[in-house]
Amino acid sequence: MLEDELTVNIRHRDGVAIIDLIGDVTTFAEEKINGAYRQVTARGDRFILLNFRQNDYINSAGIAILIGIVTEVNQNGQKLAVSGLSPHFQKIFRMVGLAQYAEIYQTEEDALSAFKRLGAVE
Amino acid sequence: MSDVEGATGQVIELRLPSRLGYERIAMDTAAALARRMGFADERIDALRTAIGEAVTNAIEHGNQADAAMKVVVVLTVRPDELIISVSDQGRRALELERTRTRPHIADAFQRADKGGWGIWLMRELMDEVEFTLAPGGGNQVRMVVHLERSPVGDQ
Repeated sequence: MLEDELTVNIRHRDGVAIIDLIGDVTTFAEEKINGAYRQVTARGDRFILLNFRQNDYINSAGIAILIGIVTEVNQNGQKLAVSGLSPHFQKIFRMVGLAQYAEIYQTEEDALSAFKRLGAVE
Repeated sequence: MSDVEGATGQVIELRLPSRLGYERIAMDTAAALARRMGFADERIDALRTAIGEAVTNAIEHGNQADAAMKVVVVLTVRPDELIISVSDQGRRALELERTRTRPHIADAFQRADKGGWGIWLMRELMDEVEFTLAPGGGNQVRMVVHLERSPVGDQ
């Protein structure tokens, strides 16, 4: 009842792998998020967007999972961005320092425009 | 309302099983209370995160996720603040010096365990945070969040 399921969905748009995170990003999310990241990396994707849904619950265990993704993104020479975070979680991402490694955009469209400038193509 | 502080404070107590996910009950209860008290949305979000971390710590660390052990959350409403106390049954005691460190993301990249952000977040988000070891052997954290009145239209 309380172990809220996270739905992870992978899409591709304009040369960017979009990982939709629909639900809560807590310790229960680890397998799904890491699995999605491995999948897009195995496919050779270089531009990755984590697309959150406003007002979900992200806790420190979820932050640790995301730091794990950033660690691998840096090692693999990929570019990571995030979109769809509520103002509260945007603030937390800045406090923790995640925003230095994954640019924060309000919307998926904003992130895609930015990736386009960095050279992401269809 | 009475002038006696103890009587003016309205107290709500929750006893939660030590199973991850139940922190949401504390988060939702505190948020509902804070909303009625007139806290701004931003402060309520901060409160949700801080209580979530405190209860998660109590479940996972203090009570070692033994569902039979309880986490007790006490919410005390004062006219100008909300006090939140979270206690566990102390199967494992918190190392108090570890509650004062500021984690750095660059260090986390080098570690296998990338966690350790919870207590720091609580300290950053709440007005007061104090850790104590309860006489009975449990860990206790007491957090306070002040109600900021809007500067205009003070009644």
